[in-house]
Amino acid sequence: MDDLYIYLIVALLPLSSLMLMIEVNPYHALVIRGILGAVAVLAYVVLGAADVALTEALMGTMLAVSLYIIAIRSSLVMRLGIIKSLPTQTDDFTTLVTNVKKAINDVYLRLEVVAYDSQEALEKALEEKEIHGICSTYNCADDQNFKYEVTLRIERIYQLLKPNKRRSFSPLNTLAVRAIIFTLDSLVDSIFLIILMP
Amino acid sequence: MILTLLIPIYQTWHEDNVWQKMVAVSSISSKVSIITLVISVLRDDWMMGVVGVIIITVGNAGLMLLAHLLKKIGENDSTQLIINN
Repeated sequence: MDDLYIYLIVALLPLSSLMLMIEVNPYHALVIRGILGAVAVLAYVVLGAADVALTEALMGTMLAVSLYIIAIRSSLVMRLGIIKSLPTQTDDFTTLVTNVKKAINDVYLRLEVVAYDSQEALEKALEEKEIHGICSTYNCADDQNFKYEVTLRIERIYQLLKPNKRRSFSPLNTLAVRAIIFTLDSLVDSIFLIILMP
Repeated sequence: MILTLLIPIYQTWHEDNVWQKMVAVSSISSKVSIITLVISVLRDDWMMGVVGVIIITVGNAGLMLLAHLLKKIGENDSTQLIINN
């Protein structure tokens, strides 16, 4: 019975790893990784492996967490290209950006708006996969107000942005959606258009 | 002490705010180092004591780094506009 505290401490290890496994938000998972590291250090120490515990404290808790947070920060992002002359101060654009952010936040993506000088540079960036989508004004003959359309390169993002019946609120309920199939460099690529209706 | 270690673990599981989770991590980290130091004194083992002290320092440094990076991400969350020339 003297070893009861060892069993208790070791039992914390599967508990914290289970918590890490069921966490869906990558940032929260990183924080729980810190907990798992601390608990693992304690378990290794009570089992007598001080060198393993030291390595876990230095590598697992500090280095792995800092490296993974940099990886998550640079990869979980949706880049939306615009032309510099695009009017970004209007209410419609703010609504569009807010709605897109709300929709992609479900899969913990961030939104980055990238401004380009010309239409050619913008389309080249889309073709070369620098950006995931283009936001441009939509020509409507009978109205002076700006209307925005979003052209997307990736079908998955289109699935996230289009109005969804499963959600209690539809983040893009002000947007009408239509899809167009484009051909890029002999590869058939799907390009989707979302048009902001008045 | 082991039972008190369960409180911040439960809190992390329960809480949705990332900063609350960070606080729980720091709590767990300090508790773990104290437990390590106590066990090292009980077993009269200097090696474990050194590991305990290193956990305290590295835990604090890593936590500060993580908090700083999370804060940076939070600042950038308001949509970033990148001018590309």
